[in-house]
Amino acid sequence: MNYFPDEVIEHVFDFITSHKDRNAVSLVCKSWYKIERMSRQIVFIGNCYAISPEGVIARFPELKSLTLKGKPHFADFNLVPHDWGGILYPWIEAFAKSRVGLEELRLKRMVVSDESLELLSKSFVNFKALVLVSCEGFSTDGLAAVAANCRFLRELDLQENEVEDHRGHWISRFPESCTSLVSLNLACLKGEINLSALERLVARSPNLKSLRLSRAVPLDALQKILMRAPQLVDLGTGSFVHDPASDAYNKLKATILKCKSIKSLSGFLEVAPRCLSAIHPICHNLTSLNLSYAPGIHGNDLIKLIQHCRKLERLWILDCIGDKGLGIVASTCKELQELRVFPSDPYGVGNAAVTEEGLVAISAGCPKLHSLLYFCQQMTNAALITVAKNCSNFTRFRLCILDPTRPDPVTMQPLDEGFGAIVQSCKRLRRLSLSGLLTDRVFLYIGMYAEQLEMLSIAFAGDSDKGMLYVLNGCKKLRKLEIRDSPFGDTALLTDVGKYETMRSLWMSSCEVTLGGCKTLAKNRPMLNVEIINEDDQIDFSSDDRQKVGKMYLYRTLVGPRKDAPEFVWTLSRRWVGTDLVKQHNSNSSKFLTMAGQEKSQKSQGWSKNPVPSGWNCHNIGVLSKNYCTRIIGYEDLKGTMA
Amino acid sequence: MEVADHSCSSSIDSSNHPPFPSSSSSVVSSNIKRDLSTDLRLGLSIHNNDDCSTSTQRGDGFDWPPIKPLLRSRLADNYVQQQQQRHENSASLFVKVYMEGIPIGRKLDVYAHQGYKALISTLAHMFKTSIVLPDSDDVHWNREKHHVLTYEDKEGDWMMVGDVPWELFLTTVKRLKITRADRC
Repeated sequence: MNYFPDEVIEHVFDFITSHKDRNAVSLVCKSWYKIERMSRQIVFIGNCYAISPEGVIARFPELKSLTLKGKPHFADFNLVPHDWGGILYPWIEAFAKSRVGLEELRLKRMVVSDESLELLSKSFVNFKALVLVSCEGFSTDGLAAVAANCRFLRELDLQENEVEDHRGHWISRFPESCTSLVSLNLACLKGEINLSALERLVARSPNLKSLRLSRAVPLDALQKILMRAPQLVDLGTGSFVHDPASDAYNKLKATILKCKSIKSLSGFLEVAPRCLSAIHPICHNLTSLNLSYAPGIHGNDLIKLIQHCRKLERLWILDCIGDKGLGIVASTCKELQELRVFPSDPYGVGNAAVTEEGLVAISAGCPKLHSLLYFCQQMTNAALITVAKNCSNFTRFRLCILDPTRPDPVTMQPLDEGFGAIVQSCKRLRRLSLSGLLTDRVFLYIGMYAEQLEMLSIAFAGDSDKGMLYVLNGCKKLRKLEIRDSPFGDTALLTDVGKYETMRSLWMSSCEVTLGGCKTLAKNRPMLNVEIINEDDQIDFSSDDRQKVGKMYLYRTLVGPRKDAPEFVWTLSRRWVGTDLVKQHNSNSSKFLTMAGQEKSQKSQGWSKNPVPSGWNCHNIGVLSKNYCTRIIGYEDLKGTMA
Repeated sequence: MEVADHSCSSSIDSSNHPPFPSSSSSVVSSNIKRDLSTDLRLGLSIHNNDDCSTSTQRGDGFDWPPIKPLLRSRLADNYVQQQQQRHENSASLFVKVYMEGIPIGRKLDVYAHQGYKALISTLAHMFKTSIVLPDSDDVHWNREKHHVLTYEDKEGDWMMVGDVPWELFLTTVKRLKITRADRC
């Protein structure tokens, strides 16, 4: 029932930009659902296997920008085998067949083939922005296709991808008529780049604001490029190595002085520390500084640099800065909001690291700090309690002690109280990563206090199932839970199975969960995919249910078991009954465990159709689980089910 | 990925019961000591180590600490680069050497030696005594007559010489001391 014409409501909806809000709005009534879906242009899909591309297109035909995430987060740390999945091609294929005018594609942890990039570049006339984060599977040939065919390309942003470099001068494939580039990030590319082609590209891109170069771009080339782009706001240098007495270096110093707009600086993928003074003149403008790929810069040079950076809001740095350096940061960077300190010496061969002292100093000196990633040698409860008192604004708090089961070195106690203080003080905490020696107690605190927590990462922590249960019962807004090497088993897994339908995903590896537990979980749960990653055939599915499962990943979905799972991924069927199990060999589909002796193929089980059970209309969904509903991006056909 | 078999148990032993006070970083370092010397000479990145002694406790070298592959390989490259530079430089590193009971010390260029044997040999000459390495079992040595070599590392701890690969030792040695064997 609307008091305004649809156009007016649609105009109001234009002001609603957050996905959560738009999802909520679409649940109000049938009319709003329709208006919202026809006007949504930016669609975010946190798990590419939760919905089919056809489902997305059906619901949001006016879609312009799509964000897709593939592999689970722990894939970043080598815990997920390479061919696990997250394949882009079917999405591009489906979109290309439809009438969707795709303009932006943002991908994280997906497998992107050259074919998919080529198809993308040829299918969408107005394609403007491609952002690939932690993806793999493509080469510079795919990039060449994007460069050559996307006439209005504004953004090509490659962050930390594994790119096969064919050295085919792909940069030269940008036509002379391409003058629309605003953002170009090549930092992760390993191979040679045609420097003159790059320079010409920059020269004909007057709107270029962000440029991040790869290691193959030397300092003198940087100088020439900067001459062409003094309007840059975000710069990532390539190789920053030169004789400080040389002409080239002095030229660079002069050129940098002209770049008055640079607010964000990164790169230094290769650096001679004595060259750093060239950037001191622009430091006072910097709001963002990323030196986390520059292990060649020693503590003292870092400190000299940072002393000029009074406006810094974001700092990513290696721990060679040391506690002393962090003290300098604390006294200089009063506007600091986000700090990441990475380990320069992950194998612990005795080099510089930071301790709790550095963190305490930062918390005392930087009142605006709300996002932290901190790799350190050690941490104490006292320090965490102090940090919690100083900084109650944390939305993201990720602590990684290099020795993951290390207790408080002063008291030899677990770090339960320290993290407890953090969750109690930081009422807006949305993301938390734990480390150090931890018992079930810390999870009790998390369950009690971390009301806004959406993502929790646990490693080598806890004593018993109670720990995991505290979290599952207490954290109402939990969306992603990832656990490794912790003693949580079937009891914790199975106590509240409905909870997982309110979450995006659960990862458990090297825990105490058994095959039988996973099967029980999967039983009668059509909205969940329970996948077991069975590398090296560790699990024998025909026998003992008491076997421990090495890696389990479960996620809610509207489309049932995925069809592209590789040999080593087993999706536990919801129709499993009984104790005898049979492997399904079907070259095109995933393996399912079903009743003994019955050959069940993908199609006969009807998973290719609408999996929403009958009678389950939108009204019921609203009542069942509000949290879940606001995450569903696409329903299948729900004609006639709205009141 | 190589699997460390033969020396795994000794790694576990030495890491769980360090004979001398040590920081946790040296505990972790002893776990990878076995592979480093080979990998450094071959110029391989050290992240290819598979360390069985930590695989159940702390995760293997591949997946802990939780850093992304690009950073991991960048750090490994940098480490190997540093080591190579050290070899290429004709630089020298003179460290002080004291023998217990003798107030006047000597100075010795550690970079000028190829390995522990050469170092011990030079020192034995300088100080006219016999020095044994911790693992040498060819001598049933009389604790009162022999000496052992110790060094002060970057963190200020005194360690027995010979436990870590030579290249690693070079990066962390600050000074040397020859002490009586019965003190260790």
